[in-house]
Amino acid sequence: MSSPTNDRIKTPAAPAATPLAERETLVRIQDVHKFFGSHHVLRGIDMEVKQGEVSVIIGPSGSGKSTLLRCINLLETISAGRIYVRDELIGYREVNGRLHDLTTKGIAGQRREIGMVFQRFNLFPHRTAVQNIIEAPTQVKRQPKAKAKSKALELLDRVGLADHANHYPAQLSGGQQQRVAIARALAMEPELMLFDEPTSALDPELVGDVLNVMKDLAASGMTMIVVTHEIGFAREVGDTLTFMDAGVVVESGDPREIIANPQHARTQEFLGRVL
Amino acid sequence: MIILVLALVGQSLATNPNFRWDTVRTYILDVLVVQGIGWTLLLTVLSMVLAIVLAILLAFMRQSDNPLFRYVSWVWVWFFRGTPVYTQLTFWGLVAVLYPKLSAGVPFGPQLFSFNTQDVITVGVAAVLGLGLNESAYLAEIFRAGLKSVDNGQMEAAEALGMRKSKIMWRIILPQAMRVIVPPTGNETIGMLKTTSLVLAVPFTLDLTFVTNSIANRTYLPIPLLIVAAIWYLVITSLLMVGQYFIERHYGKGVDNLVPAPVKATQAVTAAHTTQTVVPGEGGHV
Repeated sequence: MSSPTNDRIKTPAAPAATPLAERETLVRIQDVHKFFGSHHVLRGIDMEVKQGEVSVIIGPSGSGKSTLLRCINLLETISAGRIYVRDELIGYREVNGRLHDLTTKGIAGQRREIGMVFQRFNLFPHRTAVQNIIEAPTQVKRQPKAKAKSKALELLDRVGLADHANHYPAQLSGGQQQRVAIARALAMEPELMLFDEPTSALDPELVGDVLNVMKDLAASGMTMIVVTHEIGFAREVGDTLTFMDAGVVVESGDPREIIANPQHARTQEFLGRVL
Repeated sequence: MIILVLALVGQSLATNPNFRWDTVRTYILDVLVVQGIGWTLLLTVLSMVLAIVLAILLAFMRQSDNPLFRYVSWVWVWFFRGTPVYTQLTFWGLVAVLYPKLSAGVPFGPQLFSFNTQDVITVGVAAVLGLGLNESAYLAEIFRAGLKSVDNGQMEAAEALGMRKSKIMWRIILPQAMRVIVPPTGNETIGMLKTTSLVLAVPFTLDLTFVTNSIANRTYLPIPLLIVAAIWYLVITSLLMVGQYFIERHYGKGVDNLVPAPVKATQAVTAAHTTQTVVPGEGGHV
């Protein structure tokens, strides 16, 4: 886990005060397998994410990193293994040692606790920025519209887009859209945020704004699992770096150590290509 | 050249006495004709409403995870699209012969209530059922195409927010699908307006085409009364096209004809003084 020489400066109030190793485990992934037809995409993944941890996953395309992320909030169902988020089994109910599929209602309930940010933003194009953000709070949590709206404007301010509240997604740049998408996920007050290559679809000059928002979020103590190609982000913000290849975790540990001194040949080769 | 041809056609229309424009003038606002328009409009609207409700249901069923829903929806479309609407209308007119009494109750058990079929399925109801059910099959395919046109990421994003499937369909997917659905549905509505002339198969005898035909038969003047009918169909079609324009504009919100983003003057000034410049969409460049 995070080395004690971690020189990252976090805001003083953030729960970063307790060392990572002593914190409660939020996400526990146990021997997860996933098949697409006969294609074995995930081949026994074990992983843990602590409360407030920023866990970065890197790896070549097709390594299964996005699939793993999508399994955590049930956009994909796993073929074997177990995923727990705060000791709650994801996707299933366990009754007397037998697993039963969760109802659609149960699945929707679990997803509410997990925010997700997509590579292609996936904002609702027929809704303005603020309407995008209040959609789930008003429709799912049944918050009154006025309350949801004032919260949404706060969130937009937080991602630096306070004056873009009434813009439609098509009127925003990619980086702005992605920041609205982050605000939209945060509006549900999730305890875990998943980022699926959040900057891969952006023009290079727009990447920084999105990464800054993610940095602030990490500093506020949010638990985050980030699939990315941004090695710089992993080094600067990540508490843990996991390198995946061909459906297995090849190497995992402190980002600075792995990036500076990768132990496995495949990690070395991958980092050699992206750095 | 084109103008010359148009002028010749116009002159011929105006001067050829066989068109009998005086008769057209006599009958264009005839009480029977105006009533016929009313009935035609009523049939069009009711059948389209029935068809749209059924089509949404059928399209959702076709996308369902439940194979029974998908199968039923497929068979429905297969049957109603596969038989002529004229045949279907005739059939609905004869339903009272097939089933003189309609009753509801537990199968093989007690009966709850029963009607004479003729009292329930009047010619008007038969006409609406015939037109509406037939149309629902075509519209179901249009709606299905519309739903499929929405990017899968929209469903995923809404799911990830914890929204339930039915809510996602109504609030996220369908409104976006409407952009694709409205133009062909406008086509179908205009088609329906004219398909109502087939209701004589039921037989329903109050619609515009039947009324103008019967006046023509009475007066031995078919051409001017065909012109009367044609003028009215054109007028209604034009009105429907205006309606379609506004519906399209509503569902194109955020995507089509984007007006420059509303930026308050004060904000524009501050924006000009900061490095972060705002470039709003410049009028429908998407």
